[in-house]
Amino acid sequence: MNRILGALGRAPAWGPPLVVLVAMLVAIEVMRPGSLSMSRLQIEASEAMTLIFIAAGQTIVVLRGGIDLSVGGTLSLATAIAATRTETATFAELLPWLVVILVIGVLIGVINGALVSGLQLQPFVLTLATWSIVSGIALVILPINQSSVPPAWFEAGNATVLDLVPVPILLLLLLLGWWAWFRRTRGAFRIRAAGSDERGAFLNRVSLTRTNLAAYAMSGFFAALAGLFFASQTGSGSPVVGTQFVLPSIAAVVIGGTSLAGGRGGILGTVIGALILNQIADVIFLVGLSSYWQQVASGLILVGVVLLAPLLAVAAERTRRTMPGPA
Amino acid sequence: MSRIVARLRSPGPILLSYLGLLVLFGLISVSSPGFADPNHVTTLLIVAAFTGIAALGQTVVIIGGGIDLSVPWTLNCAAVLLTALARGQDGPLIWIIPLILAGGVLIGVINGVGIAIFRVPPIVMTLSMNIVLQGVLFIATSGFPPPPTPESVVWLATGRLGPVPVILVIWAILTIAILFVERRTSFGRYLYAVGTNRMVATFSGVPVARTTIATYAISGAAAALAGILLDGYARQSYLGMGDPFLFTSIAAVAIGGASILGGTGSYLGTIAGALILTVLAGLLPILQLDSGYLSIIYGVVILVTVAMAAPATQRLLARVLARRTPASLLAE
Repeated sequence: MNRILGALGRAPAWGPPLVVLVAMLVAIEVMRPGSLSMSRLQIEASEAMTLIFIAAGQTIVVLRGGIDLSVGGTLSLATAIAATRTETATFAELLPWLVVILVIGVLIGVINGALVSGLQLQPFVLTLATWSIVSGIALVILPINQSSVPPAWFEAGNATVLDLVPVPILLLLLLLGWWAWFRRTRGAFRIRAAGSDERGAFLNRVSLTRTNLAAYAMSGFFAALAGLFFASQTGSGSPVVGTQFVLPSIAAVVIGGTSLAGGRGGILGTVIGALILNQIADVIFLVGLSSYWQQVASGLILVGVVLLAPLLAVAAERTRRTMPGPA
Repeated sequence: MSRIVARLRSPGPILLSYLGLLVLFGLISVSSPGFADPNHVTTLLIVAAFTGIAALGQTVVIIGGGIDLSVPWTLNCAAVLLTALARGQDGPLIWIIPLILAGGVLIGVINGVGIAIFRVPPIVMTLSMNIVLQGVLFIATSGFPPPPTPESVVWLATGRLGPVPVILVIWAILTIAILFVERRTSFGRYLYAVGTNRMVATFSGVPVARTTIATYAISGAAAALAGILLDGYARQSYLGMGDPFLFTSIAAVAIGGASILGGTGSYLGTIAGALILTVLAGLLPILQLDSGYLSIIYGVVILVTVAMAAPATQRLLARVLARRTPASLLAE
């Protein structure tokens, strides 16, 4: 037992959440045989992708040692623009809007990053303010709660590329591929360094301003992308939908093993964390509990993960001492 | 008076928020004559009281260097528990209200123990608590609204003692109590010490864990009280009634000049923050604006306040002001 715990503690940050996710998937398969089919997994992935994208951006800001609450506003704004500015467009006509929306997301992020660095504001309060502002803009653009987006958008989000890979799965693979590349770059290293120790990073000539700008810009980009994906999946835009993704985006990051103190963790863990949050509903349903238990379960898992992390670290330390040589 | 000012760690931001409130109120009153009408001002104060009471605990938690994201559903649990237990009767309130306040304290203590002893980051701990409470409340009520609020609770929220609304009396008593605690008790000194530097506080013999747990307990009780009073105001409880308070409780503290890093601020500033938020909301019907604009205005106001208090801005201001002090003029 100790040895297993030790191995988990030494594993990368995404190790323990992966074990939890696999256990959940096995449990679901046992309770409802056939759940692990490709088509089922595809549905699960497309359900989770909005959260995965918004939480991926959140991860980078958290790695930088910050937090971004404004992602909720950016997501809403992206769906609001998608729903109001592109009424009967074909897919080719939609492409420029896609770029515009993503650029707006990046701009919001750059403003956040500039204010955090330039005025040395606390990220929590600053992004609380920009969350409010951007949500307000979304409400002004799209005052009604729900509005449909062009059918072409919906079709694009549910298409199958080359009759082989559905768009949500393709996007997930692209995200993981991008992360596999980005995490080894100098930029990612600097963001991590600045996140784990600002002073040390600064003394080693890592620009605190540029890492902030980059982290928040990526967060804004991913939030806008999440909004576009949400609109393409549901075929609708909503000026308030982002709010319900803010706290789950932080939860997915934490469950995925990324430390809120900055520097440690990554997007692979966050993807697993988001999938765990998404699977909870399924497990609760299969166990036969009311769907409201989903919230209780996600709250308990969230605290459990944070409580467990130090225990795993201790177990890792202990087994390292008892097992000589490279493990 | 000067001693009180000296005791405030940063009188600047708090004075600034009251100045902002006065200017704001003056401008609106001039352009819209009915705004400064005593009846309207009373209404504004009553509405501000709910934010003010919910933000009381948030202030203490933030001064202590934490944050409480569980305010919305702690408030909502208290509100639903009141109507569910009392079933419209006034008699049982004698034990129900203390029970609910104790429940709020218990929620806060669990938060505090998780944060101070098990080292869970405040954001994670209180966020989880909020989610769990929301789930529990949905399970317990199955989404059905419980019976109406007892009349005496309605009186607490909307009644009057002579010309003064009862809720303002409650708010005033709470304000005096918390200002006394902040400034005159050892807990108050511990609070600022813990918020300023946990490590230094520990080595100075401050009971850090106990102080932290107490801040969250106060926040739980304050949220529960706000829930009870909100029941009286709305004459019912419903699911989701606490949701706006996540934003407003933190916004009131931030506008009131407390640093989210802890160690500074006072409930006096939070009162100004709650009043500013309420006055701004009262501006909307006058200008006939949608709620989206209120959201934008709230964001801008928070941004401007924290930007004014930011170290970078303060340095800039200090440099500008330094050129024009009487001393420097005399030197010339």
